[in-house]
Amino acid sequence: MPTAAALRLQIERSLEARFPAALTPAPRTIRETAPTGIAVVDELLEGGFPVGAISEIAGPACSGRTSLALAFLAGRTAEERFCAWVDAEDAFDPESAAAIGVRLSQLLWVRCGGAKKSAKSWTRLEQSLKATDLLLQAGGFAAIVLDLSGIDPAEGMRIPLATWFRFRQAAERTRCPLVALARASYAQSSAAVVLDAEPMRAEVLGGTVLHAGAFRLRRRRQRFQQPWNGARKPPASTWTAGTQWTVERSA
Amino acid sequence: MNGELYLAIHAAEFPAQALLRLRPELRSQPVAVLDGPALQQTVCALNRKARSCGAAHGMTRLEAEAVAGLQLIPRSLAEEAQARAILLECAAQFSPRIEETSRGTACSFVLDGTGSERLFGPVDAMAEKVRRAAANAGFRISVAASANFHAARLKAAFSPGMTILPRGEESRALEKLQLSALNLGAEQAETFSMWGIRTLGQLAALPEDSLVARFGPEASLWRALAAGAAAHSFQPIEPVVALREFCEFDSPIEEIDSLLFIAARMIDALVARVAQRALAVASLAIEMNLEGNQRHHLSLRPAVPTIDRKFLLKLLHLEAAAHPPQAAVLSLAIEADAGPTSKVQLGLFAPQTPEPSSLDVTLARLRAIVGDDRVGAPELEDTHRPQSFQLRALHTADSKGTTAKQEVRIALRRVRPLRTVHMALNGARPAAFHDEGKRYSVASAYGPWRSSGCWWSQDAWDSEEWDVLTTDVSGATLGCLLVRDRLHNAWRLEAYFD
Repeated sequence: MPTAAALRLQIERSLEARFPAALTPAPRTIRETAPTGIAVVDELLEGGFPVGAISEIAGPACSGRTSLALAFLAGRTAEERFCAWVDAEDAFDPESAAAIGVRLSQLLWVRCGGAKKSAKSWTRLEQSLKATDLLLQAGGFAAIVLDLSGIDPAEGMRIPLATWFRFRQAAERTRCPLVALARASYAQSSAAVVLDAEPMRAEVLGGTVLHAGAFRLRRRRQRFQQPWNGARKPPASTWTAGTQWTVERSA
Repeated sequence: MNGELYLAIHAAEFPAQALLRLRPELRSQPVAVLDGPALQQTVCALNRKARSCGAAHGMTRLEAEAVAGLQLIPRSLAEEAQARAILLECAAQFSPRIEETSRGTACSFVLDGTGSERLFGPVDAMAEKVRRAAANAGFRISVAASANFHAARLKAAFSPGMTILPRGEESRALEKLQLSALNLGAEQAETFSMWGIRTLGQLAALPEDSLVARFGPEASLWRALAAGAAAHSFQPIEPVVALREFCEFDSPIEEIDSLLFIAARMIDALVARVAQRALAVASLAIEMNLEGNQRHHLSLRPAVPTIDRKFLLKLLHLEAAAHPPQAAVLSLAIEADAGPTSKVQLGLFAPQTPEPSSLDVTLARLRAIVGDDRVGAPELEDTHRPQSFQLRALHTADSKGTTAKQEVRIALRRVRPLRTVHMALNGARPAAFHDEGKRYSVASAYGPWRSSGCWWSQDAWDSEEWDVLTTDVSGATLGCLLVRDRLHNAWRLEAYFD
């Protein structure tokens, strides 16, 4: 009596002219992801930000982009990895980062917009793009956040697509997730994930203390999306972040 | 060769050798070194090509300039001292007991190699190693080995190349050397000349008693020197190891690239010397003498000690580009600080970290783009004052920090520099404000949260913070942190919630 494997081989051979490897499932590439540290966002992203790819978080001010990126870095630095924050607006707050759990000794902060007394004078945007390029090419960083939140979308749209394509290639080669924070999505097809962030909805405690903020994220694009497996994935999620004082009080 | 063994090394025309060591492009050209006051300069040293072109010691500057193709370089005593230290360091690789026997413009040392055959092999192999080590350091030397100190010294000084004097045959090996090798006084030299004594062999053949009767007791020493049998009490010197290279330029250098061309050779030499000691370069201090009696200092400190010369040169390039000298450079000195070679235990499951040397170059490039003080790892200061932090250098060895508790919190985005806003108040509470031409109505304000400190100093602060939710004219909601400076009664927009 033929075995199941022999039968399968026999069926596949008879059908191979019309359907190659009819009974063998297609090999599936498992994409590595890095968790963001926020469960609902990880669920939305099917594991977290993709490693070796560009992820964009686009939204207006007070939409939780910075909090989400810092939560992501907190997880990466806790694994004894090094990360970088390229700050085009010079708006990074080390106190907030430390409060969220980022190990500051493992975070390289590049503050763009410094007064540079040289023949070459670059704008904040140019500085941040050059710095990101250098860091991606150098390799070894477990995550790089490119903070373009303060850049006007009209200016951001003028970033050449070749730049994003180069970032994508470098990120893929060095296995580094690049997270871009901006008011709008700029990377277009080079981005593996694009999240739209909506403004904060404040939660107040007793009418006197700002207690928490609720942020809503919508997944606009995900290149490496898993095939539909029957369960409907939520296209959007809402996550809540407490303020420093309320978290301390609850602890 | 059993018993005592001395190796003499002799670098002739040392002023020229010291200058050509860091200028290899001139080695294939005729070069003469000028010494003396400005208007009375004479040739004090020259290379072989210059001699074949007709140049000679003692020529005046005018005479030397008449020699076609002859390159004239002023003597640099500082570079000679540096070169002497390096030659001494080369010799110290083979023996801890070294005596200096330099005379005139030559630089000579005698090494006590007694008992070192087991380390360096037979005498001829050892002499060849000494010669090769000196050649690698940029010196052309003659080497002589003998059981007699003075025989080795005289043979090295007056016979170019490498000579091994067999034990007991020193007299025969020295017999053809000119009498001038003994450095006799003019009167004695004239007497010997009248007698027809011109070589050491002829002097050694004279009866000792008769010589002493005519010249005094010192004649006994001359005869012993000529016969290669003079006794010597060895007086070792202590080599001072200074990992320093110095180069004085013939003309002021303005271009950084030209400067780096010279610096590359100096770094090469330093790295080679450091590597000989199984160490690595931990830091480099660069000092430039500029026109107008100014000095310019640069400092390089790689994350881990290294002997990668290209990496060090790249760091120097970036540092010099970021901090260029403000005038033409007259001389360049590079001093290295040695450290243990870095040992990194890699692990299959260890997280990926930036490679230290690559990170150094990346950081230097980043500093060139955004400024010196704007790249690094933030470190919070031990104070309650808001925004108190400093940036320090990122070190990949710092990956074993304490794990902070991770919380999902609202982060702040700081406004730098702080913006003063015009605030409309409702009682003591903020009601609306103008910022960058926009009007924001305060929907909710939570506060005030007061903090103050350093009241005893000029850095005193006293402020009250308000967490404010605002809406602008388009209806968009914005959460921000407003601060009233109680010392100056001014409202500032400090941060946004994001």
